[in-house]
Amino acid sequence: MAQPKISVYRFMAAGCNGCDVQILECLVPRYKLADLGVGVVFTPEEANVLAVTGGVNIKTMEELKSIYEKLQPPKLVVAVGNCALTKEIFDKGYSMVGPPDKIIPVNFYISGCPPRPQAIVTSIAKALGAKLEEKEDYWATPEEYRGRHEFDSEKCIGCGACAQVCSSDAIELTENNGKRTVKVDYGHCSYCAFCQDECPEDAIKLTREYHLVFTDRKQASVTTDVDMQKCSSCGAYFMPQRQLKRALERTEEKVAEYKRYHDYLKETIGVCLSCRRKISNIKKAKQLLSRLSVTALQK
Amino acid sequence: MPEIVQIGPFRPQLVEPEKFTLTVENNKIIDADIELGYVHRGIEKLFTTKTYLQNLALAERICGICSGIHTLAYAQTTEGVIDVQVPDRARYLRTIYMEIERLHSHYLWFGVLAHSLHDTEAFLKIMGEREKVQDLLEFLTGNRMNYLINTIGGVRRDLNEKKIQRIRSVLKDMKPLSDHIMTLLDDNGRFTKKTKGVGILRKERALAVGAVGPVLRGSGIKSDARKDDPYAAYGELDWEVITEKDCDVRAKSLVRARETYESMKMINQAIDNLPKGDIVGELGDPLVTESIGRVEAPRGELFYYIKSNGTNIPERVKVRTPSFANDFTIIEMMRGDYLQNARLIIESIDPCFACTDRVTIINAKTGKKRLAKLE
Ligand code: SF4
Ligand code: SF4
Repeated sequence: MAQPKISVYRFMAAGCNGCDVQILECLVPRYKLADLGVGVVFTPEEANVLAVTGGVNIKTMEELKSIYEKLQPPKLVVAVGNCALTKEIFDKGYSMVGPPDKIIPVNFYISGCPPRPQAIVTSIAKALGAKLEEKEDYWATPEEYRGRHEFDSEKCIGCGACAQVCSSDAIELTENNGKRTVKVDYGHCSYCAFCQDECPEDAIKLTREYHLVFTDRKQASVTTDVDMQKCSSCGAYFMPQRQLKRALERTEEKVAEYKRYHDYLKETIGVCLSCRRKISNIKKAKQLLSRLSVTALQK
Repeated sequence: MPEIVQIGPFRPQLVEPEKFTLTVENNKIIDADIELGYVHRGIEKLFTTKTYLQNLALAERICGICSGIHTLAYAQTTEGVIDVQVPDRARYLRTIYMEIERLHSHYLWFGVLAHSLHDTEAFLKIMGEREKVQDLLEFLTGNRMNYLINTIGGVRRDLNEKKIQRIRSVLKDMKPLSDHIMTLLDDNGRFTKKTKGVGILRKERALAVGAVGPVLRGSGIKSDARKDDPYAAYGELDWEVITEKDCDVRAKSLVRARETYESMKMINQAIDNLPKGDIVGELGDPLVTESIGRVEAPRGELFYYIKSNGTNIPERVKVRTPSFANDFTIIEMMRGDYLQNARLIIESIDPCFACTDRVTIINAKTGKKRLAKLE
C-alpha cells in the first residue's frame, strides 16, 4: 500500500473517551477515510498530524509537549471535541491545565461532544481541499440531532434562563450600550439541550448542523441581541424590554380580576431593583400589595 | 534475571491512558503494578458545583462508551434524595435504551479484541456492522454518544411507532453479527486459538480482588445487578444471567457475546410490553438525606453515592466505576502469564481499550532500557 499522505496519531489528554471512539469509528470503510489518503499510525515519530482529544490534565501535559516535538512536518494539530477546544464541562476541574492550545499550537478545531465520525472525516476533506461523496443516508443527521445552536432573535427575551440551566457554562450574558447580548459558545457546550428545554419562549434551538470545524475556536459561537429597558425612576438600563413585557403580561394574567390596579402594577414593575429598595418606592409597593389583598378579602 | 517492563501510559489504540509496570522473568510475568490518573478530571469535586440536573451531563462524561448507564445510575440515586415517582413507561424505556447501549459497548469490545489479535477482517466486519447500532442511538436520542436520554424521574425522549420499527429492524440486522462472533469463539474459531487458557482468573481470586461484570461472570460467578437488585424494568422481563466456567479470556468473551442475545431478547420484550403513560414524573424538593444506587453497566457493577443537604446542589457524590474495580484483576491475571499475553489481558476486562505496540523494558539490575514489540 502506498504511504498515506496524512498519518494521524491520536492522543487522549483527559476526556471522556467518546471522541476517541469516534476517531476509531472513522476507520470503518463507509467513512472513506482511506480514499482521502489518511492513515492512522501508532507512534508520534511516524505521524504528521496529531489528533488530540480531552482538555489536558497535569499528568498528560508534559507528554503532549513531547509528542508534539516528535511529529513530522507539517506538524498539524487537530483538536477533536469540545474538551479539546475549551475543556468543556471539566473546565473548572482542579486537575485540568488545558485546553491543548494553551500548551501546543493547534491548527484546526472540531466542535462536538463527541463530533460524529462524519464531521471528523468531512473536516479532514475540507482541510485537504478534497471532495467527498456524501450520498448515503448516514451522512445526514437525524431529525432530533443536537447540533449547533440557533437563536430566534424575534422570540428571545434575554431572560438568561438558558445560561442558568446550562450544564457547561457555555452561555454568557453581557450588557453594552442599552443592549443585552446572549452568546452561546458552542465550543464550550456539552450539547445537552437543557437550554432548549428550559427556554420559556422557545427561542433557542439545537439544529441539525454538524459541520463545525474552525481555525480559531472563538469562531464557535452564536449570539443574539435584545434591547434593554431604562428604569422609570433612575434611568439606568436594568432589564430587557421584552422580558419586562412578558413579566407584566404574566403578572396581569395572574391578577386579571384586579384590572383597576394594572396601571399601578406597570409603574412598579418598570423600576429597577435598587430603586425598588428606596423607601418611597417600598411604600408604593406596599400600598399596591395591601390594596390587592384588601380587595381579595372583600370578596 | 528479572526485568521491568513498562506498558503505557499512552497506548495509541487504547482509549484511556494508564501505566502498567510489570516485573518479568524469562518472559513470564512475576508481578505487575498499575498507575492511574491520566484521565483524572476532578469530577467528584465538580459534582458539588453543579445542580442535580446539570450533573446529569457531567455524570455522562465520566465515560463516553457507557455514558447512558452513568446517567441512569446517577438519576436513580438522585431519585433517593428527591421525592419522585418514576412512571412505568419510563422504567421500560430506560431498559430499552440501556440495552441498546450494552449492544454497542459489547460490539465495540469485540472490535477492539479483533484489532489486538491483528484480525483486520474481523475488526472491519464488527465495527462496520456496529455502526447500525450507533446510527440507531443517534436516531433515537440525538447523539451517537453522550445521548443524555435519562433524566431524574424518567427519560427525556419517548418512542413512537417509527422509532420502534427502526429498533426492531436494527435488532434483526444485528443477530447475524452476534452469530458471527459466536463462530469466531467456538471450539475451532479464530478468536478461540488466541484467547483460550490466557489470563486465568480463578473463582476465589475473582471474588477476593472484587471483580465485577463479565469478568466475574467469566469466572463462573452468577452476579448481575440487574438480577440481584432489579431496577428499571429488569425485574419484569424474562432473561438469564450468563456465566462461563473457564475463567480465561475466551470465557469473558463468551459471556459478552452471549449477553448480546439476552439484550436483544430484553429489548424486544420491553417493546412488546411497553406501558402507556408519562415518561417523566413530577419532581419534589431535595431532602436532607443520603442515597446509594447500583446498576449493571456493560463493564459490570456501577455504584453511586449521593449526600444531599436539601439544596439543589449535592453535597457529595461518590462514583465507583466497574473498570476501576476490575483493574486489580489485571494484576491477578498477569501473574504467571506470558509477556506476550499482557496486552490481551489488559483488554480482557474491557478497560475501555487496547494497548501499545511498543513497551520499554528496563533491566532491573543494570537499569538499561530497550524497546520491545508487544504482540
Ligand atoms: S468533547 Fe465530549 S465526547 Fe469528547 S472527550 Fe470531551 S466530553 Fe467526551
Ligand atoms: S446545549 Fe445549551 S445548556 Fe447544554 S451545554 Fe450547550 S449551551 Fe449549555
